[in-house]
Amino acid sequence: MTAREPLLSLDGITRNFGAIEALRGITFEIGKGEVVALLGDNGAGKSTLVKIISGGLEPSGGRLVYEGREVRFGSPAEAKAAGIETVYQDLSLCTNVDVVANFFMGREIVKRFLGIPILQERAMEAATAKAIADAGTRIPSLRTNVEHLSGGQRQAIELNRFVHWGGKLVLLDEPFAALGVEQTRRGLEMIKRIAAQGISVVIITHIMAQAFQVADRMVVIRQGQVAGDVRTEDTTADEVVRMITGEAVKPPRAPIAEARTTGPA
Amino acid sequence: MVSPRRRAAIEFVLDNLVWFILVAVVAIFSFAVPNYFQIGIFANIIEQATFVGTLAIGLSLLIIAGYMDLSIESVMALSAMVIGILFAASGVGLGITLTPEWLVVPVSLAVALAVGAVVGATNAFFVVRLKMNAFIVTLAAYIWGRGLVVALSGGRSAQEMPAALRVFAIERFLNVPLIAWVSIVATLAFAFVLRKTPFGRHLLLIGGNPVAAYRAGIRVDRLTVITFILAGAIAGLAGWLLAIRTSGATANLGVGMLFQTFAAVVIGGVSLKGGVGSLTGVYAGVLLLSSIQTAINLMGMPAHFTQLIQGAMVLAAVLLDTMKLQIRKKLA
Repeated sequence: MTAREPLLSLDGITRNFGAIEALRGITFEIGKGEVVALLGDNGAGKSTLVKIISGGLEPSGGRLVYEGREVRFGSPAEAKAAGIETVYQDLSLCTNVDVVANFFMGREIVKRFLGIPILQERAMEAATAKAIADAGTRIPSLRTNVEHLSGGQRQAIELNRFVHWGGKLVLLDEPFAALGVEQTRRGLEMIKRIAAQGISVVIITHIMAQAFQVADRMVVIRQGQVAGDVRTEDTTADEVVRMITGEAVKPPRAPIAEARTTGPA
Repeated sequence: MVSPRRRAAIEFVLDNLVWFILVAVVAIFSFAVPNYFQIGIFANIIEQATFVGTLAIGLSLLIIAGYMDLSIESVMALSAMVIGILFAASGVGLGITLTPEWLVVPVSLAVALAVGAVVGATNAFFVVRLKMNAFIVTLAAYIWGRGLVVALSGGRSAQEMPAALRVFAIERFLNVPLIAWVSIVATLAFAFVLRKTPFGRHLLLIGGNPVAAYRAGIRVDRLTVITFILAGAIAGLAGWLLAIRTSGATANLGVGMLFQTFAAVVIGGVSLKGGVGSLTGVYAGVLLLSSIQTAINLMGMPAHFTQLIQGAMVLAAVLLDTMKLQIRKKLA
């Protein structure tokens, strides 16, 4: 068991919206291959925090240290280029185009003829078909527009997309909101699988059971501050709930969880 | 469930519905209207489609990206008037000549495109940078653009464009004048861009869900600016063609084309909600309007019948769009 290096460190991140302080100095670390559950009540600042990490918002103050260097993401494109993938609560799909176009959104496979980039539809369709089949998802036709697919199928596309593109850090904002029991189970397994590949995962969820199932560590946000940073094995659901509601005294900050040598607990 | 092959067949018909309707309408007219079935008539239909067809390219691109451009008609007139004033020999024309004479072709084209691009860029500035509503911004440009045309010309007209330019209106290839070919080539080029390049794909994605496109790393603002500038430049191209066709420009040049263009775009299958449409379909929509107009002229019916029919067709097109959506839903 060796302690993991941090992939991303947040140091005193603040964010104001006018006079409102949404985040008031958030400090915690995410280790390589670690699954961190981000918990907190509605309005605690979780989504704001995710947007800051994913480049959708710039922090008002504080530092982001990613792979040992201080970074500042001006747009999601920059965060993505650095290897940070995000799955948002409200799905990020374009329902007016087909599954393949959604899967390759923003990073289409092209070949240049006379300097003009041309979309390679066949190659993209084959890659999509493989990724979807590998994940055990069934979608009748990859050329169907997403508007004709069910909520579960849409979520599956979104989840498969981030698994396919991998990267170094995946942010999941309430990823299983629209999923059924079986699909949620698959989704959680998927998270463990990608963490085992050394990809770090931050998952926001309201459902305590899900957090306990996948997370190595739990970070609780309350009123824009870190109200708790504990290892999953050192805590209980009751304690986490008390941290969320502010009944518990803030425990000391936990180090990055050690790499698991055995299967997930 | 439908078999894949049947699904593909139905999808094909739905995707190209306007073309089927066009063929049916032309066939009916050919039987019912005396003198309709002639090469000359068909060539005339294509010639008539030149200006609305060109304007429709830029408008379609913007509507597909989820925006709106009401300024195109005035931009077209403005470009036509600017090159009319510069190069026409009489009226308000300054009659500038270049040596060699053919040089007027690229220079006037560049001027027309630049005038359009500048108006497009100002529209983009207000919409993208200042977050103003595209409908209002381009409505304003529609009004001030026309005002500028009248101001520049003092209400007078420019006549007698140089012969080197007139060639494009007079010379024909396969019975169709060169200006119409310019419009067709531009349509095909942008149809290709829309369907086969990342730029076109990103326009569709932005029209469908700009937030998702932004999150996926697509530079939405940059693309929107480019598209507004393109739409302006294409309207400038339409102005260049129109100035050549009319051998000059008048203060009220092209009035009413905006609404014909909108009708053609909607009939061509572009959804005003954004994110849906193809340029080949739009061109079929333009041809459909043009062939109906020709039939009405041939039958000697008063011109206002054209407007009645065009209005009805726009409604029918929207209705058809809803029906297509329902059929697609059943297929999925």
